[in-house]
Amino acid sequence: MTIPPGEYFVQGNDACVEGALASGVKFFAGYPITPSTEIAEGLAQRLKGQNGVFLQMEDEIACISAVIGASWGGAKAMTATSGPGFSLMQEAIGYAAMSETPVVLVNVMRGGPSTGQPTKASQGDVMQTKWGSHGDYQVIAFAPATVQEMFDLTVECFNYSEKYRVPAFLLSDAEVGHMRGLLRVPEKLNVIDRKEMGIRRTDEAYDVPDDLVKPFPVFGKGHKAIITGMTHTETGRIEPEDSKVHSDLVRRLNEKVLRNRKDINKWEMIGEGSKTMIISYGSSALGAKEVATKDPNVGLLRLKSIWPLPEEPIAQAARGAQRILVCEMNLGQLFFSIKRVAQDAGCKQVELLSKLGGEPPTPSEVRHKLRSMGAV
Amino acid sequence: MKPVINPKLCKGCNICVYICPKKCYTKGTDISEMGYFNAVVSFPEKCYNHNREGKLICELCVLSCPDQAISWHPETEEEKKK
Amino acid sequence: MDIFEFYRKDRWPHVFCPGCGNGTVMNCFFRAFNEAGLSLDNTVFVGGIGCSSRVPLYINSDALHTTHGRAIAFATGLKLAKPGLKVVVFTGDGDLGAIGGNHFINGCRRNVDMTVICINNNIYGMTGGQASITTPHDFQSTTTPYGNKEYPFDLAEIAVAAGANYVARWTTRQVHELTKSMKSALQKRGFALVEVVSQCPTNFGRRNKMADPSQMLEWFKSNTVRRDKAKSAELDHVDLNLAGQITVGEFVDRNRECYEELIGVEKHG
Repeated sequence: MTIPPGEYFVQGNDACVEGALASGVKFFAGYPITPSTEIAEGLAQRLKGQNGVFLQMEDEIACISAVIGASWGGAKAMTATSGPGFSLMQEAIGYAAMSETPVVLVNVMRGGPSTGQPTKASQGDVMQTKWGSHGDYQVIAFAPATVQEMFDLTVECFNYSEKYRVPAFLLSDAEVGHMRGLLRVPEKLNVIDRKEMGIRRTDEAYDVPDDLVKPFPVFGKGHKAIITGMTHTETGRIEPEDSKVHSDLVRRLNEKVLRNRKDINKWEMIGEGSKTMIISYGSSALGAKEVATKDPNVGLLRLKSIWPLPEEPIAQAARGAQRILVCEMNLGQLFFSIKRVAQDAGCKQVELLSKLGGEPPTPSEVRHKLRSMGAV
Repeated sequence: MKPVINPKLCKGCNICVYICPKKCYTKGTDISEMGYFNAVVSFPEKCYNHNREGKLICELCVLSCPDQAISWHPETEEEKKK
Repeated sequence: MDIFEFYRKDRWPHVFCPGCGNGTVMNCFFRAFNEAGLSLDNTVFVGGIGCSSRVPLYINSDALHTTHGRAIAFATGLKLAKPGLKVVVFTGDGDLGAIGGNHFINGCRRNVDMTVICINNNIYGMTGGQASITTPHDFQSTTTPYGNKEYPFDLAEIAVAAGANYVARWTTRQVHELTKSMKSALQKRGFALVEVVSQCPTNFGRRNKMADPSQMLEWFKSNTVRRDKAKSAELDHVDLNLAGQITVGEFVDRNRECYEELIGVEKHG
């Protein structure tokens, strides 16, 4: 049974479980890893009652592989992991992008590189999410900052991965995953299902042209589908030597996400038009938000979706600003992309507050940095 | 029935020549359209399935041919008499 | 059913080299599938990466051509998400035993209902003939120019020890027995493995004085020992060495409960 509408006091990872169940997840394959294990434990408990399958696999590569297999079996499928497991999954993520398989991955980020800080938060996997597998591909990634968003954005992950047939990521971190807070489950959720081959699409759900997102062939219905990670034509014929087929395919895979940025990107803007703007995402935006809500001279752009990069809101925030501060829990990953967009939009001073070690930047650290930039 | 080699599929590996217990096949000398020296069914009348209808036996050549080039065809009246 | 109703005729001639054992396995598999009376539309073929894993792409049904070594993990997810489907995995020795070794043993242990056809050609054929985990001791390959100093894996014995429901091994020389075992494997509920020791004349035979495919088949013929006829446990062990032998036959045929029955997924519909 999915969670009834109402208010709950739960942990972030549990909110993610409820979000997944509310979107109709039917398959979860996982491997124990701190700090994401609660998601696996929660779904192990709850999936059975939902006619779903929970599977603990032998490693993370097997998890993501089984999830992709299950997705082709027609189930909404997801896995949850953290840094080391996420690194193992990269090849299959590229496969999911190439074979246009909707899958949802929750990455509860922890401090890296390597085993790093298993119980501490970080935002070190932001670039890996986008560039981790080889070749050119696009993904959709959301960064929740609250328990509520762990629920809401998990639902969005499922919706967008099914809608655009891409792997979608929930880039949470140990801070948000283990945070306890208020979860408001709405009466009605917008849930999007995949557009199966041979079924007329419902116009409301799909605003993208057919030539970008192909209808989904279903196994066992005589579609004779060939699903492959090799360069293939529209009918699934493998053509690894044909340069035009490859170029057309890879361009389309990228276009289908990039052209729909407007639809995918989500953000929160506080104090728009301020001379000083902070841009941040995930749990590192929490301290900045406190500063921005208290100080009328400081604005905040909090990115709820980070891939594809929300260029429009960043440019919008940069247009009227004299200085921009980017807060991240890494040595500057999204910072350089944000700087490029902000400088193109006319903001000269773009600086980074980077915090390593496991705790998000505090309001006083943000204020201190703003002072050194000459803002307050 | 007699075995027939499809020249468009045969890659000239000569497994049929090796595997046939009755030595029906011989190595070819002419180059095919595909650029291989295709094997030849020189002695179809030696085959276990010569003049046999219905369920066939042996079939080592058909089962072993890696290129699905060998198939069974009915004999002509003249071939049946051999 | 004609063989070219089962396979996609428009893709012929296939990509395999002259004399490759994969084509032989395809013939036997077609016969076994036909005799088992299964429906093509209700069967999904899963492959990993490698020569053998190209077979699903030629079959006139749904195919999932996955990443290297992970075919069994993909098939597990697929089968559990849609238990009504019949799942057949085509894989090779490198795909199944080397990079996918972990998924292989855990697949046998979990015993999810699937048929695995492993075409073991003792070499990495598609990349040009590097030593694999089943290359016999002291044999040549491009990465073992002084002879392979490692000893080969026995995939069938591993599957038995790990808990598969059905395990058989044949070579491409025993096509009738192979067909029969494939049929049994297709009809078996639970994890069923058929290992086919197959010839790769281009990359294995050529470097080991067996460039002609018929020489390789002769090697198989003179070195195979039937498991039921092996006299001692010592003989029972596969060596895959010219001086040794290839044990063939049915290794196990049992009815452990399969995973989907245990978790009750079949009731979901």
